[in-house]
Amino acid sequence: MNKGLSEDQTDALQELANIGMGQAGDSLARIWKEFVHLSIPKIAIVDASRLPALIHGFVGDTAVSASRQAFHGGFRGEVLVVVSAKDRNGLANLMGYEGQLDSVEREEVLLDIVNLLGGACVGGIAQQVNAEIGFSAPSLIGEDIDPLDVIHPDQLAIDKALSLEVCFQVENRSLTAHLVILLPNNEVGALAELLDQFLCTL
Amino acid sequence: MPVSVLIVDDSPIARKMMRRSLPPDWDITIQEAVDGAQAIDIYRKGGVELMFLDLTMPNIDGYGVLEILQAEGLNCIVIVVSADVQPQARARVLAMGAIAFIPKPVNPEGLQEVLRQYGILV
Repeated sequence: MNKGLSEDQTDALQELANIGMGQAGDSLARIWKEFVHLSIPKIAIVDASRLPALIHGFVGDTAVSASRQAFHGGFRGEVLVVVSAKDRNGLANLMGYEGQLDSVEREEVLLDIVNLLGGACVGGIAQQVNAEIGFSAPSLIGEDIDPLDVIHPDQLAIDKALSLEVCFQVENRSLTAHLVILLPNNEVGALAELLDQFLCTL
Repeated sequence: MPVSVLIVDDSPIARKMMRRSLPPDWDITIQEAVDGAQAIDIYRKGGVELMFLDLTMPNIDGYGVLEILQAEGLNCIVIVVSADVQPQARARVLAMGAIAFIPKPVNPEGLQEVLRQYGILV
């Protein structure tokens, strides 16, 4: 399906991401005090040039908010979380914020989300392939921005990216968060090696 | 007489991980299903004694499988094996007839303990 990972490696990564996202769902459920329905994570390696269109495809013609967090260690890269602007207030309410949020609180919500989802997903994958990994502080990409402006491929030193799409739904409302994991080209190889070592244990 | 086991998971890697977690010297026969619909087909043919069931799957998820099994008399032991580790998920599947909930990744020792606890492994 892609030049970066074999079918077996992709299957393994999908299952490891699934386990990581299950842990993220549990964390969200404890914070939100609601049962969280998890979708099956969809994973793909895509050309970096396609990332703006990919994010647009996730959310459609709507403004989005996005945050990012870098990770380093056994493999390194960056995880982005994109939520549509219409879901942002719902997320804030679930995380205990009430009323009209100021800009600092809105940013806190987005940083909390990338910390939680990125940490669970990338951290979960790393843990299962026995890789040590650390995270930098999360930062905001933007609020109410055009989905085509979340990522500018010409500003990235990468050719490929790992896209992971996952939906969280709580009763009576649908909140969707999209994760994109950016891996520099040589890091796809590092991850592939770690996945091979994991596959050898099966 | 070997125990007839059905592993239900859409992920081929998860099915391999499940196989690897089973006691190595256990006298069993193993079938696999790639989604809930296939699991129901195999179950209806009869003979399945123990089902390891994932929850998040296409074409009938684990909850849907449990609903159908209950409606049809639940004639096998079901152990849910899932990455969805929310306490509500565990409570829900136990209320739907599963005897146990095992979180992914499966811990082989924990699995053996559950199998012994319910007299499935002696």
